[in-house]
Amino acid sequence: MFKFLINPSRFNKLIDIIFRPLVIITSITLVVGLVLIYFSPLDYQQGLTVKIMYIHVPSAWLSLLTYGVMTFYSIVGLAFKIPFSFIINKAIAPIGAVFTLLCLISGSMWGKPMWGTWWVWDARLTSVAILFIIYLIIIFLNQIFDSREVREKTIAIFILIGSINLPIIKFSVDWWNTLHQPASVSKLSSPSIDISMLQPLLVMTLSFSLIGLIIAILRIKAEILIRKIN
Amino acid sequence: MLFINKIFIFFKRELKLFYTNIVDLLTNILFFFLSIFIFIFALGTGDKLLETIGVGIIWSLLLLSSTLSIRKFYEEDFKNGTLIVVHMGGISYELMAFLKIVSHFLFVQIPFLITIPVASMFFNLPMNEVYVLFLTFVIGSLILSCLGSISASMNLLNSTNFSIGSIIVLLFSIPVIIFSVGIKNSDVDFFSMINLLLGISLVFLGISPWSSAACIRLALRNK
Repeated sequence: MFKFLINPSRFNKLIDIIFRPLVIITSITLVVGLVLIYFSPLDYQQGLTVKIMYIHVPSAWLSLLTYGVMTFYSIVGLAFKIPFSFIINKAIAPIGAVFTLLCLISGSMWGKPMWGTWWVWDARLTSVAILFIIYLIIIFLNQIFDSREVREKTIAIFILIGSINLPIIKFSVDWWNTLHQPASVSKLSSPSIDISMLQPLLVMTLSFSLIGLIIAILRIKAEILIRKIN
Repeated sequence: MLFINKIFIFFKRELKLFYTNIVDLLTNILFFFLSIFIFIFALGTGDKLLETIGVGIIWSLLLLSSTLSIRKFYEEDFKNGTLIVVHMGGISYELMAFLKIVSHFLFVQIPFLITIPVASMFFNLPMNEVYVLFLTFVIGSLILSCLGSISASMNLLNSTNFSIGSIIVLLFSIPVIIFSVGIKNSDVDFFSMINLLLGISLVFLGISPWSSAACIRLALRNK
């Protein structure tokens, strides 16, 4: 059932069926999300700037999710020697980098009116910046090596070592005293965010992840075609 | 031949190589001192300023000058075939990487300890900060050796771009810098930070032989 996750031809077959509906669903969720953001209530302290959250939080989650997927596929690729996982690693690294950059930029635009500064050397911000640098190194490593096998395995090893950063990002707000607020949605108890703000946030997260998925599908298809030519 | 004997011979060879190439180490130390001079000339010689930023500057320059020496970590052994010979002698690549890390730590990083009192004299550091610098450098340089092993084995794989290895070392040395220089500024007590640094060094000591052995295997296959 899940063969399409590791098999290129099954992947292509499945994609041909679901790609067009996926695009339609994505545009609908994006429009619905933007409308919900427009009608969402203002914060009693932050005013209008709270709406940056609907860009900031989904891109932060997706930057972590992308790296998690890359870590999963490097383990699969190194352990079971499946070449398709390296294709995915190469294809989705730039997407994660773009999400991380979006998160950093929107965060600093949010930080200027709220904290009074563009950038603070704070645990959460610093670890996300390091995540961005790790993404850049992965993209550069993709350009450097001569032989393909070497490149794929080296990048997989590097991704595995760099995944130490993920728990640091997640728990940095709990371990250190920071300006950044602690987790309010992804908690074990019920989320401490109001339902009127949670709805547009979740819809935006869905639409962001679908956009990322569409770009990833296009890149993976292109990468499979390139490998077929070589 | 006994297994211990093999390891002993390996160390003896490393020691001999170290004595024949001692100019390399002296060049690195010279680089370290020259960059300290340049730093001080660029900042101006205000005593108070130098005292506050001294530990940070000494640590970052130690880091930069140790990235100079990592390029030779595996390259010569790889070119003249020593890696294969030692492997045929019954020492696996993982153990070889571990021994290389230990010998690099003993013969390259530990001699750097002589420079720390002199460098801290230039910055007028008080005595307790010199002790902190010593202790953190002894633990932190072990981590730097592990990172050097990883990036040097990655450098075996490509023939064009060498700076990416140094970038990887700099990237992963960020926790080392945070927990070693941060000891001075943090309000957490001294020994818990030292324990954290020791924990990080053990993690890297566990990871790096495996990853560098994997890279060496790939490089030998594609030679």
